[in-house]
Amino acid sequence: MALAIYIGRRLVFLVVALFGVSLITFVVTRVLPGNPAYLIVGVQADESTVEAVIERLGLDEPIYSQYGHYMRQVFSGDLGDSWRTKNPVTTDIADRWPATIELASVAAVLAVAWSVPFGVVSALRRRSLSDRLANVASGLGVSIPEFWLGIILILVFFFHLDLAPAPIGRSLGTVPPEVTGLYTLDSIIAGDGGALRSALAQLALPAITLAITTGAPLLRVTRGFMRETMASHHIRSARALGVPERSIVVRHALPNVLLPVSTMAAMMYGYLLGGTVLVEFVFAWPGIGKYAIDSINASDYAPVLAAVLLSACSYIIVYLIMDILHFIIDPRTRT
Amino acid sequence: MSAAARTAPPVLPTEPEAAGSGSVPVLDVVDLTVGFGSAAKRRSIPLQGIHLQVAAGERMALVGESGSGKSLTAAAVLGLLPDGAEVIRGSVRLDGEELVGASERRLRDLRGRRMAIMFQNPRASLNPVLTVGGQIAEVIRVHGEASRKESWSQAVDLLAEMGIPNAARRSKDYVHQYSGGMAQRAALAMALSCRPDLLIADEPTTGLDATLQQQVLELVVERVDSRDASLLLITHDIAVARSHCERTTVMYAGRVMESGPTASVTGDPRNPYTDALLKAFGTVEARRMYAIGGVVPTLTGELGECAFADRCPRAAPECRDGVPELRSLDDRRVACVKA
Repeated sequence: MALAIYIGRRLVFLVVALFGVSLITFVVTRVLPGNPAYLIVGVQADESTVEAVIERLGLDEPIYSQYGHYMRQVFSGDLGDSWRTKNPVTTDIADRWPATIELASVAAVLAVAWSVPFGVVSALRRRSLSDRLANVASGLGVSIPEFWLGIILILVFFFHLDLAPAPIGRSLGTVPPEVTGLYTLDSIIAGDGGALRSALAQLALPAITLAITTGAPLLRVTRGFMRETMASHHIRSARALGVPERSIVVRHALPNVLLPVSTMAAMMYGYLLGGTVLVEFVFAWPGIGKYAIDSINASDYAPVLAAVLLSACSYIIVYLIMDILHFIIDPRTRT
Repeated sequence: MSAAARTAPPVLPTEPEAAGSGSVPVLDVVDLTVGFGSAAKRRSIPLQGIHLQVAAGERMALVGESGSGKSLTAAAVLGLLPDGAEVIRGSVRLDGEELVGASERRLRDLRGRRMAIMFQNPRASLNPVLTVGGQIAEVIRVHGEASRKESWSQAVDLLAEMGIPNAARRSKDYVHQYSGGMAQRAALAMALSCRPDLLIADEPTTGLDATLQQQVLELVVERVDSRDASLLLITHDIAVARSHCERTTVMYAGRVMESGPTASVTGDPRNPYTDALLKAFGTVEARRMYAIGGVVPTLTGELGECAFADRCPRAAPECRDGVPELRSLDDRRVACVKA
């Protein structure tokens, strides 16, 4: 019952947050200079043609009625059309989001896989080798810009060592028949080993880039929480009653650390799902981030709005799911 | 003082009234000296020449101000000194077995099974994400052959014994569902779960309501007695020592000042520090609260004089000639040249 109230409250929050995000984005895109009507009809078109297009798009209406019109559309499941691609935005997003989901998921798994265990181990002994290494790794990972890291990885692993394929999108070979839209899963479903290898090879560098930059803060947080927990009274008590060190770490300390760390990881994943603009751009990854950038450059309002809404939505929903899981797992929220 | 006097092995006074001559004390701490930092770069000596004997079935109070080294003594006994601290010299024996220099494996085996501890702030001493019963059951399993089921039913019995109502149900609860008093009962159940020979209770009632303090203390004493175990009760409250412990050791600035039967130590203190401490606790008749002048010295090196000399009303030049030896005097031991 408490859970139902809790979820209900969070869903209300979700709706309010999305309204806010949509309003801000809508106003910002409309007040920016650049008139899409010229982009549609071309600069050479005469005044009356431009006027006609402006009227057809409803750009002559006051901004609040434009917003109202847009929101009515959104609630009926229509995100408008892209003037650049000439497709409905929903179609464009359905084409591109799987690319982002795939990259974000692989990157998130890699990030958690290296940073959380490393953070836990490095916290166990101060000034140990792993502690020093963690210091260097988290310091570098936090301060290196991801687009620069991506370019360096391309330079080293593609250009010089020839270990990675060319950074030109999701696949060099045949694309597996679409089921989920994730090339890795689809090629497994199709039983196509070649396509799977190709998909993984294309994923490797962008995923590693993101795993390094998003794993670094996670490493820092994990190590901090682990240190704090290992110094807590209940760990001292357990130790003073002869509980073995392995159980101290795994049974007594880890659950206390993983609760807050998983929240951080979920926030990171939600952020990645909204499109990783710079990395997608560097690796020509045809995801939401690249779609948003291309649309901004073309003053294409509808896709930009949709991309921002999608980004906010995925962030809030992943966070909500993690919150609900905590509500179920953490004994302190049950009473 | 001469260097020779400082490093000479202390003369170990015989314990005049140790229970049954020839019997080995449960806890025998001799000349325990603990320092922070390495031998080359010693930062401080928080414990210097601690002597402490607790006989079988005996209740010993360890009394002193904050920072006098009571809790650090307990940590040294358990082999759980904080990072950077080490035993410089001296010995800690549990039932005759030397613990200084013992392997971590051996110490871990003894902790919880032969010597146990309960801390102040019981709710922080239990893990927030593990059930109370599960934590007790784990200690039982770690030190014995009990199965998961057996250890759990023992844990429930222990909780019931400590006065937790509905123990079977409450054992599945988490510490945030326990009140402070209940949590301390659970901590006591956990500490006594393997029938240790020695229970160290480190300020077990600090942070509890005044009405609960008496109850919890009585429970600790009663449950320790029923197991014929010994109790080392760490407290800053001399009244607690008086009402619950046969013997009392008074510490100041990392040294033992006086030790003996509680009635004599508190009724007829021979060390001016004990006297001052008693006055500070005062009685209602005293019109003004008594406070000891000055501050506790910082212990950056081994002392060459009585630690209390600067604040002592009876200080004399000879107090600065060396650290007063802990010597036998009638029914007790006192570290004061003027006693």
